[in-house]
Amino acid sequence: MAPRRIDPRALPATHPLARRLRASPTPVAVTLEHDGMAVPAYEGEPVALALAAAGRLTLARSPKYHRPRGPTCLRGACDGCLVRVDDAPGVMACQTPVRPGMKVRSQNSFPSARFDVLQVTDWFFPKHLDHHHLMVGFGGAINRTMQSFARQMAGIGSLPEQPGEVVPHRERDVDVLVVGAGASGVAAADALHAAGLSVLLVEEDDATGGSARDRCDLARPPPPPVAETLTRASAVATYDTGTLVLHGGAVVLVRARARVFANGCHDPVGTFVRNDLPGIFTARAFSRALVRAVVLGERVAIVGPHPWGAALHDALTALGVAVTRSTGEVVEAEGRSHVTAVTVREGEVTRTIDCDALVSAELPTAAYELAGQAGAALGWEAARGCFVPRADDDGVTAQAGVYVAGTLRAPWGTDGESAADGARVGRRVLRDLGVGR
Amino acid sequence: MTAKAMVCRCEDVTLDEVEEAIGKGQRDLESVKRYTGLGTGWCQGKQCVVACARILAARTGAQPELPITARPPLHPIPLGALASLAEGDDA
Repeated sequence: MAPRRIDPRALPATHPLARRLRASPTPVAVTLEHDGMAVPAYEGEPVALALAAAGRLTLARSPKYHRPRGPTCLRGACDGCLVRVDDAPGVMACQTPVRPGMKVRSQNSFPSARFDVLQVTDWFFPKHLDHHHLMVGFGGAINRTMQSFARQMAGIGSLPEQPGEVVPHRERDVDVLVVGAGASGVAAADALHAAGLSVLLVEEDDATGGSARDRCDLARPPPPPVAETLTRASAVATYDTGTLVLHGGAVVLVRARARVFANGCHDPVGTFVRNDLPGIFTARAFSRALVRAVVLGERVAIVGPHPWGAALHDALTALGVAVTRSTGEVVEAEGRSHVTAVTVREGEVTRTIDCDALVSAELPTAAYELAGQAGAALGWEAARGCFVPRADDDGVTAQAGVYVAGTLRAPWGTDGESAADGARVGRRVLRDLGVGR
Repeated sequence: MTAKAMVCRCEDVTLDEVEEAIGKGQRDLESVKRYTGLGTGWCQGKQCVVACARILAARTGAQPELPITARPPLHPIPLGALASLAEGDDA
């Protein structure tokens, strides 16, 4: 249970991770407060990462059973790091940059997420608590009382003490909105920009580069796009009238003649016993922490088919971390408040690996939600076992003006394939908008 | 921690619960969602929808057709950021 900061000098100078870390700007040391304790951190790094590096991995509790939860995906798609920041409830600590003096608190727990007496719920209901049907059949008054009690016990934080302020929205009209600044989104946006169109590229992360930016086997992150780009800008909803992008606390309503969705994939964790223990991470989360100079464990088990497994194994070995890799499947994780071992099935053989961090290295699944909202038809991709937006070779979907590119429609694609795909989709958008004819 | 396997972390829906729902005749994603609450939490199904679809495919032998509808917003956002969009539209 010992995540720690990496000293790049401990790595061979030629290792890509060492080169990456040495080229990073020197961070500014600050202090934040977590549940009343002062925690050292670097300004601008994700709060969840700063807390993890200080050994504080249990940040939240699950809604019904109050099971301990920690950051798992580190990119805004799990429930593991929900905290109260200053007066705001339900904040994703992995998506929130450190500011000096910020106050981070546990929510939905008593007295804190690290030790929550409400965890007894987990023991009372060892299989599950079917609260949807448990209360059916009682009289109205009893039902209301139980509902009100359940609402007090569960939930995701309480309201701010002060009412929030209305933040004025902005509006933008562009030719093309591209969502996601990974390999395909950058290629599409730059192709469209080069042809003279007004292009807005929005990226949820704090920098462009997509998955390549999180790879520990690349000495340099990919170069930035030429097209106008907003980072820390989340496309949160698509409507016929436009796309809502949350940027700097305000909504930008973007109206575009064409929209290219290049927002890639989610990283799932396998469905196995105690798959929600703190100390279990996706392959991308673990690698993402490494390139930000944090190693999330000292005895690491990497289990699953994710193609980054080999590079993770190599980087961890170079760092002197005890690492075991298996391409089998996880049967069960063990641990009371943090993962301590994992049982793995490899064909006919089952073995148990002691560990303080488990990388559930499952293959990525397409983040189809936004494209689906925009009107793209969705379908089941049996080979990968996930839903994808349906599109032709040029990224054209069933909805006019809506295109998809990169690993969103081909979750198995490499960065090179994604870049080529983005450029191809960009050329198709140009043609459809009547440019260059 | 008890030996639960979580399918939907945001709503604490376990594998056992999903299997019970399937056993009671919920044979597609939408029905399992309505029965268990899966996919209706914080993250709006970014992990559990595919996990549940795979379980359904394995148990029923049928290919999943459609995911549950992913409602906006994709991430929770402060109401104050949305409020000004309604100006002049407060009827």
